Amino acid sequence: MEPRRDEDQLVADLRALRPTPRPEFTAELDERAAAGFPRRSRLPHWFESAPVISTAMRNKRPAHLGRRLLIPAGGLAIIAIAAVSAVVATNEGGSSAGENNAGSASTLGFLNKLDSDSQPDHSPSYSPGATEEAAPAGESSSSSAAPSTAGASAEIEPFGRSVARPHNRAVERSAELVLGADPADVADDSAEVFEAVHAHDGIVLRSSTREGEPGVAAARFELLIPSAKLGDALAALSAIDEVRSRHEATADITAPTVNVGELLQDSKARIDSLLAQLEAAETESEREAVEAELRQERRHRARLRSQLQHLQRRADLSRVLVRIETGAADESSGGGAWGIDDALRDAGKVLAVAAAVTVVALAILGPIALIALLAWLAHRAWVRRERRRVLG
Amino acid sequence: MEQMLVAEAKDAPRAGDLAFDRLYRSSRDDVYAYVASLLRDAPAAEEVTAAAFERAYRKRNRFDPERGEPRAWLFGIARNAALDELRRRGRQAELTAEPADLHSFGAEEGAEHSERRLAVSAALERLEPRERELIALKFFAGLENRELARVLGISESNAGTKLHRAMTKLREACDGAA
Repeated sequence: MEPRRDEDQLVADLRALRPTPRPEFTAELDERAAAGFPRRSRLPHWFESAPVISTAMRNKRPAHLGRRLLIPAGGLAIIAIAAVSAVVATNEGGSSAGENNAGSASTLGFLNKLDSDSQPDHSPSYSPGATEEAAPAGESSSSSAAPSTAGASAEIEPFGRSVARPHNRAVERSAELVLGADPADVADDSAEVFEAVHAHDGIVLRSSTREGEPGVAAARFELLIPSAKLGDALAALSAIDEVRSRHEATADITAPTVNVGELLQDSKARIDSLLAQLEAAETESEREAVEAELRQERRHRARLRSQLQHLQRRADLSRVLVRIETGAADESSGGGAWGIDDALRDAGKVLAVAAAVTVVALAILGPIALIALLAWLAHRAWVRRERRRVLG
Repeated sequence: MEQMLVAEAKDAPRAGDLAFDRLYRSSRDDVYAYVASLLRDAPAAEEVTAAAFERAYRKRNRFDPERGEPRAWLFGIARNAALDELRRRGRQAELTAEPADLHSFGAEEGAEHSERRLAVSAALERLEPRERELIALKFFAGLENRELARVLGISESNAGTKLHRAMTKLREACDGAA
């Protein structure tokens, strides 16, 4: 019985030793409990007590604010990354689509065939002011070698100066137009193509028309249209029948044009020099040698003139391929009315782009999240270890 | 009952506030007593007690009744806050105690009582920090063994055994002092 009494006594003594809070503290804590435990500022006392610090500033609580802003900031970062990725993906998709358009099999074949006549496009170095001879009569600008002047773009000149020169570019244009027609209308449509070409001062290089059943009946036209009238001509051609596809492409041929003009000027100077040598020749053999060299140089100059004219023609005249097809529209052409199939295809593309953006975002955020997770786990483990250590 | 009240907190914020208020009312002094016994520093104990309730209030919607009683959950938070405070201050649990306030229990009681409680207080100081914590949770905070085990992350039987050993050691220390 004695031990039991000792036990009770010990417990009573322990309970008597129980620390009790100050009434002031409990009253203050009760107030805070009633107010829903508003966050206490962790700012230094001098900051809290400074009269110039406004109440609003004091309520900012940077540490909490930082934590509160972490999630929205992270969300914004993800959105920004996704947006940038989407823009990049879209641009890449657009440029590749443009390449496809410009390089569709039929158009490329057509363009290559046209270029096969004379292809003098060297890879020249640009030299401004070297094309006086190449310039058409009446043009006095030192950079007027380019006969067709369309397209405004910035050009890098020597010494790194970038100058916007909107009116002296030689730009070659080409287009491909696919029209859908009933087999019975192929002949009429072909006639309208001829009319449209002539109305815009164009040239029909080649044409072929085939009659027959849907899918068999077709027509094909290889045209040269003055570049200045290309837009109007395409509009007129597009009005002939249902447009299944329309692709346009441009190529800047300023550099080869300028280079040929420069070579032509060099050749002229060489000829002038040879003519002077011829006048000064005293012996027959000397004269013959100079004349031979002069003939050779004149032939060279004629070739250069031809090349320059060809380049001017490429810039002046745009190549257009018109095809008239019958039967169902080719899926790959993308022409015709926009329907369910197109919608599904577009939806697929959108999903593919979205998936790509997600993969890119994950590739960026994944490692960061992993590092953050490991850091958090390490910190947590360290805190737990330290807490255990505190109590020995 | 408390478990039920806190469980309601998930469904209705108002009910949750009420439940937390009840938990606060029933545990305020117990939490302070436990924290003060760990820190041995009254102002720091007040700070940490307030911080523990604030932290618990912020986390009240995350409380899972299936993982234990509300009081055990609250004391777990208070324990972490107190240990963090000790860690921050670089103080160890075997801090020298604040001198026992003889006036608090010696004025109106007999000298024998005062001497005995002084001896108990001194014996308490000689215990290991973990043993002292067990006694504080049991007799200062008034936790059941089940709650005590939950706070310390051990089994209930283990908690009972450790508590028994601590009490035995305390009694021996008291006898030795006497």
